[in-house]
Amino acid sequence: MNAAVEIDVKSEAEAFLIAEARLLDAGRFDEWLALFAEDGFYWVPAAPGQSDPLNHLSILYEDKSVLGMRVRRLGHPRVYSAQPAPRTAHLVGNVTAAPGAGPGVDCEVRSTVMMAEYRPGQAADRRLWAGQQTHKLRRTPEGWRIVLKRVDLIDCDAVHGILAVPI
Amino acid sequence: MPDSIAPDSLRRLVLPDRVHRSLYTDPAIFDLEMTRIFGRCWLFLAHESQIRAPGDFVRARLGREDVIVVRARDGRIRALVNRCTHRGAQVCQAERGNTAGFACPYHAWTFGLDGALNSVPHRQSLPPDFDLKDPRLALAAVPRVESYRGFVFGSLAPGGESLVEHLGPIAAVIDNVVDRAPDGEIEQAGGIARQEYRGNWKLHHENANDTLHPGFVHESSVSAARGDPRDYAAPAYDGHQTHTQMLSNGFGVREWQSLSLTGFPAGHSYMGGFYRGGVLSPDRDDPVWREYRARLVARHGEEKTARVLGEDRFNNLLYPNVSINAQYQQIRIVTPLAVDRTRVTAFCFRLKGAPEALFHRAVRFLTNLSSPASMILSDDIEIFERVQGGLANPEPEWLDQSRGLGADRTEAGGRTVSAGLSELPHRAQYAAWLRYMTAAA
Repeated sequence: MNAAVEIDVKSEAEAFLIAEARLLDAGRFDEWLALFAEDGFYWVPAAPGQSDPLNHLSILYEDKSVLGMRVRRLGHPRVYSAQPAPRTAHLVGNVTAAPGAGPGVDCEVRSTVMMAEYRPGQAADRRLWAGQQTHKLRRTPEGWRIVLKRVDLIDCDAVHGILAVPI
Repeated sequence: MPDSIAPDSLRRLVLPDRVHRSLYTDPAIFDLEMTRIFGRCWLFLAHESQIRAPGDFVRARLGREDVIVVRARDGRIRALVNRCTHRGAQVCQAERGNTAGFACPYHAWTFGLDGALNSVPHRQSLPPDFDLKDPRLALAAVPRVESYRGFVFGSLAPGGESLVEHLGPIAAVIDNVVDRAPDGEIEQAGGIARQEYRGNWKLHHENANDTLHPGFVHESSVSAARGDPRDYAAPAYDGHQTHTQMLSNGFGVREWQSLSLTGFPAGHSYMGGFYRGGVLSPDRDDPVWREYRARLVARHGEEKTARVLGEDRFNNLLYPNVSINAQYQQIRIVTPLAVDRTRVTAFCFRLKGAPEALFHRAVRFLTNLSSPASMILSDDIEIFERVQGGLANPEPEWLDQSRGLGADRTEAGGRTVSAGLSELPHRAQYAAWLRYMTAAA
């Protein structure tokens, strides 16, 4: 791959991550879900460097069908843990893109993500979630689709309160 | 002083049909709970599989104490208070590991696995009568540590009823989870989930066997699961488990009423008949389950296997700090941190000798129920925090727990039993609470 193409892919990937972050911040979870490939997974490990989602618990490990239930739930009028709805601001940076390594993966994008979260109401929580994320992407006629989104939180194995919305 | 709360004052706060808000909000009552309940009762500390070899240790909390549960060279399990007897620094930072002893980072006092003070630097500057063998210089040890089929409990009371006496018939859930292992042994595996909520510890226990809340609190997950096509091709990692865990809170009033609730004088309780409905049953007609069942039959024979797998008790609360689910090999430890702050620690067990895929189901159950992103527990925790917020109001003073009152049946040994839609477990917990809190020192 020549340098110009690399820069092109990197800026395309960066634009994708920013668009994804904006959907999450806007609470447009249906549209966010649609970014996943039909065989896509969303994984937030619960241990640093976790290699295995089957033999160790995760904060989240969901394929598109289970993630679909999560998104539907967030649209329910009585989803108490997300009411009032958390407000979030994602910041994505330190983006690098490399050609995809696995089958059906065209591009692997690594970045750092921070999500500031404010939960209005009596809890009035202000929290900061941060970590490294990896997006394995597939190029389709409809645009990039997520084959795997993995978020490695720096405090993935810490004591947490409720995490009501996707990071 | 906490002990200045007179027994008669406490008795005025707990009535059969209601309890006073100060049980959830008064720091003086919390202090007394730490002395009279968490300072005396048998509390779950660890599982023996976490400390198999000499030198293996795991941290735990025993009431107010930060303790190190450790297996000494003689194989005996001790629980040592994590505080150097010199200037008070913690001698252990790791959550678990293996060590030859405990060295204080501050002035290098070193302690053995039995807690004995082994060495101090520069002996000549200490008084001549300074004696390493002085028991006051050893790491403080929890006076009683006992194990029931691999489950290690500790009590800060030097005497009193034995662990087996305290557990009584609720020990059946420990038997059941161990008996489910084809090799007769279980081990903690798959990581540990920890969450904290801003509410009193008792809110967790009341909720565990509260049959009326799921239809309301978990409505959003039931509804999301029902909206799912039942026949979608569930990926192997999940096998519809998330779906069924969410659906399991969707019983109607008649189904909840058909369950039974059992409470014990020690404060323990469980829900019976939950799996009969088949919604959450681990007993699936698939190759993994058939293979598992065959291995269990090889160990126990058909009759006992049917009995072990047919055990239908859900959310077994071992008062005051642990809840066990045998069917999915889950354990949840409830640790009070302050009157309005509680930690929930959860993990699962591997049934030794069972197919690996069965363990994956336990891990999946743990992720679904006990992760911070759980679509079930998160709503419970949200409600605990709203209750704590509501109880900050000085008025009204009372919380009602009268559902089913008058229909509780008392059976042999003092256990109380009722149909599902009842606040019997609340009443059993508070009857025990009052007895512990008013017992003489």
